[in-house]
Amino acid sequence: MITLNVNGKTHEVDADPATPLLYVLRNDLKLNGAKFGCGLGQCGACTVMVDGEAVYSCLTPILLLQGRSIKTLEGLGTAEQPGPLQQAFIDEQAAQCGYCIPGMIMRAQALLERNPSPSDEQIRAHMNAGLCRCGTHMRILRAVHRASKTMQGAIPGAKRA
Amino acid sequence: MPATRQATLSVIGKAQPRVDGPLKVSGKAMYTSDHNFPGMLYAVPVCATIANGEVQKIDTNAAEKMPGVRAIFVRNTIGKLFRASEGVAFDAEMSHVDENRPPLEDDVVRYYGQYVALAVADTFERASAAADAVKVTYSSRPPNVEPRLAPETNQKVESERGDAAKAFDAAAVQLDQTYDLPPETHNPIELHASVAVWDGTAFTLYESTQGVVNHRNVLAQMLGVPKENVRVVSKFLGSGFGGKLFPWTQSALAAAAARQLGKPVKFVVSRRMMFQSVGHRPRVTQRIRLSATRDGKLTSLRQDWVNHTSILDDYKENCGEATPFMYSVPNLRVTSAQARRHVGPPTPMRGPGAVPGLWATESAMDELALKLGIDPVQLRLVNEPKIDEGLNIPFSSRHLKECLSTGAQKFGWEKRNPSVGSMKRDGLTLGWGMAACSWIAERFAFAASVELRDDGTARVSTATQDIGTGTYTILALLVSERLGLAVDKIEVALGDTRLPPGPLSGGSMVTASAVHAVTEAAAKAIDALLATAAKAHGSKFAGRKASELEYTNAMVHAKGESASSGMPFADLLRAGNLQSVSGAGSSQATFGSASKPKFSSHSFGAQFVEVTWQPEIARLRVSRVVTVIDAGRILNPLAGRNQIEGAVVMGIGMSLFEETSYDPRNGAPINSNLADYIVSSNADVPSLDVHFVEYPDTHLNELGARGIGEIGLAGVAAAIANAVYHATGVRVRELPIKIEDLIV
Repeated sequence: MITLNVNGKTHEVDADPATPLLYVLRNDLKLNGAKFGCGLGQCGACTVMVDGEAVYSCLTPILLLQGRSIKTLEGLGTAEQPGPLQQAFIDEQAAQCGYCIPGMIMRAQALLERNPSPSDEQIRAHMNAGLCRCGTHMRILRAVHRASKTMQGAIPGAKRA
Repeated sequence: MPATRQATLSVIGKAQPRVDGPLKVSGKAMYTSDHNFPGMLYAVPVCATIANGEVQKIDTNAAEKMPGVRAIFVRNTIGKLFRASEGVAFDAEMSHVDENRPPLEDDVVRYYGQYVALAVADTFERASAAADAVKVTYSSRPPNVEPRLAPETNQKVESERGDAAKAFDAAAVQLDQTYDLPPETHNPIELHASVAVWDGTAFTLYESTQGVVNHRNVLAQMLGVPKENVRVVSKFLGSGFGGKLFPWTQSALAAAAARQLGKPVKFVVSRRMMFQSVGHRPRVTQRIRLSATRDGKLTSLRQDWVNHTSILDDYKENCGEATPFMYSVPNLRVTSAQARRHVGPPTPMRGPGAVPGLWATESAMDELALKLGIDPVQLRLVNEPKIDEGLNIPFSSRHLKECLSTGAQKFGWEKRNPSVGSMKRDGLTLGWGMAACSWIAERFAFAASVELRDDGTARVSTATQDIGTGTYTILALLVSERLGLAVDKIEVALGDTRLPPGPLSGGSMVTASAVHAVTEAAAKAIDALLATAAKAHGSKFAGRKASELEYTNAMVHAKGESASSGMPFADLLRAGNLQSVSGAGSSQATFGSASKPKFSSHSFGAQFVEVTWQPEIARLRVSRVVTVIDAGRILNPLAGRNQIEGAVVMGIGMSLFEETSYDPRNGAPINSNLADYIVSSNADVPSLDVHFVEYPDTHLNELGARGIGEIGLAGVAAAIANAVYHATGVRVRELPIKIEDLIV
């Protein structure tokens, strides 16, 4: 048994310690937000946050994650009550097919918690690890800017940087 | 819808955020691989490691004994899989598949990665390990994946008028060049996936498909069961770009395995397999010959193309799609041929035919403009045709000239100094290039149902699907417009063959196909409501004739009286103890129709591109793109802009990065991952400026909407190559444009 803290809840997981976090999230914990796109850490669709950092959950074995704080898309809000970053992605129409979006949002969340007012260049550099084949990049950029404005001061971890 | 109504459209044409946005940002949108079922098993294929030869022996002994393994299926254990007959009409009977051979049909291997066995186990990891443990012995021959294609002796004439060869030979100015396009892989971020459930009689197939109805029709035949025993579901698609138009072999294998084992089976194709066994845009070579008078009037145009195809299937990349009508030219000849290679079957990729074709013809037009010393925009303007000279019929609506002039003005084209490398900004050399573009405007058959319900909401349903383009939202808008109900009062049901048959999400045709069918269904639902109002107990109109009643913005009222004097439709339904009333609507296909059209229907556009070039460090960037599109009425400008922007971004990848390379020794696509097959990322995306010139094309449907999913990609590669020439003086005729091409 491995103990994982996901979105503030503790889960006892009966899985091989080498199992990638993504499989445990999707298959054991039924959290479908994070997506499988390559399994190689190349596309970013599986991105979640671990202790505030964006990580590829498809490459991260759960044995490394005991005692750490894992946050997934589901931890930011719901369809009915989206969090500020989710709302910004809706408002800027950043999702087309939407498959890369969970990873994009978690990557952006990690940036905004560390740097509440990132510049264009900082957003582009940080977000470059996530691939979007629909070509919504400019809208993602705008969504992160929009969220940066609405989230100012609203995130407990924001002062850390 | 009569023309008078169009002036008072209330929601059509206004920016509407996508109705599925909240689901997509919260993880609640259900993509195929998100479906799980009790007892579900996982299938992982054994992929051939040769591209030409035969399977001699498959040793499954070790794999079968591994933990959690339920079966290793091979040719004689998977169960009978049939071929699907071709149903050519683009309607509810459509049946098309690009790879006609069912998986495991024989022991011949014709492309690298062809499935030769299937491991099924209780977890994905165990199935993967078992697939790795299957030992396959092959007899192998050298594959033919030769990248060079040359015109064949049997070129087929696609379009011809006048005598192009004679006019060319006699012309004052001639251009004869060849343009190459490498194989491109669609690479939607969502992997192809199939989750098959068999209940002993019927299949429910959760599929990543751009066409649930076609998928159902094909799979029913392959599995040898009646159509009504197959239900295909695709609620959300992580995009497709054409790669998911037609079923691929994993779907039949998942269903067959589910039937053999009596358990649900999930089969998710790996990223590497995405390059091998689920289609690609084929390699194309095109020889373009143009001739003109000294003042720039085209006198001849010839386009001779060859595309590669697989060993068994005849895929034609229709590069001449836009050629016969793009410009006025009295002498024209377009020919095609296919060359067989040991590769998986090609399939349409965003803008099939026209996108590769325009890459060549619009590059050639730029080269001709240089030879003539005429501005490239001007060259297009002076060759504007009055009619479609290929079919000798008028255009339904063509505003290419306005796209060109608007684009030139927005871009600042008049400041362009034509001399190579002459324009500078902030120490960078600028290159300005442009191209024109076009894409077909047609309809598929479409059936829809609209219900008005006793809670004051409406539901619209059809078995098309939303591949990310915004179909859920468009249908909600169409119903909202007709019923006067807010968008959030409308439920949209898509992606399920139990719904009225809808079309493929392909050819940029869904919106244009939906308009009439959905509007008619809503109108018929209103008719049913008025009939109810005239007879329901408790209706204040009981005893009146339905023809004396009218529906306005969710209210039923007497004709000539105000809407507020009437009764809300929800109250009426409740009074009649009806949960709902419904209406059905449909429209016919124009695409694939045997009758000669009266009008030539196409969308048009212009792409203007700025690149920056730093010769000191050989750094090329696309810095600015202005796109002007003539696609009829834009029903949702927010989604429309999304589509064009995304297509331009894909065009940057097509121009500068994308190329699938095959290993000549074993035929394997060798850059089969997203680190080695490069697509545009955040760092590559420039300032994008998208404009629509809106002329409703009411020959296609009453709102005058055409499609916008593909045209944004057309012309981008030529415009970039033309800009690169302007910056560097290097003419690149083989995509992608590589840095090494530019170092001279």
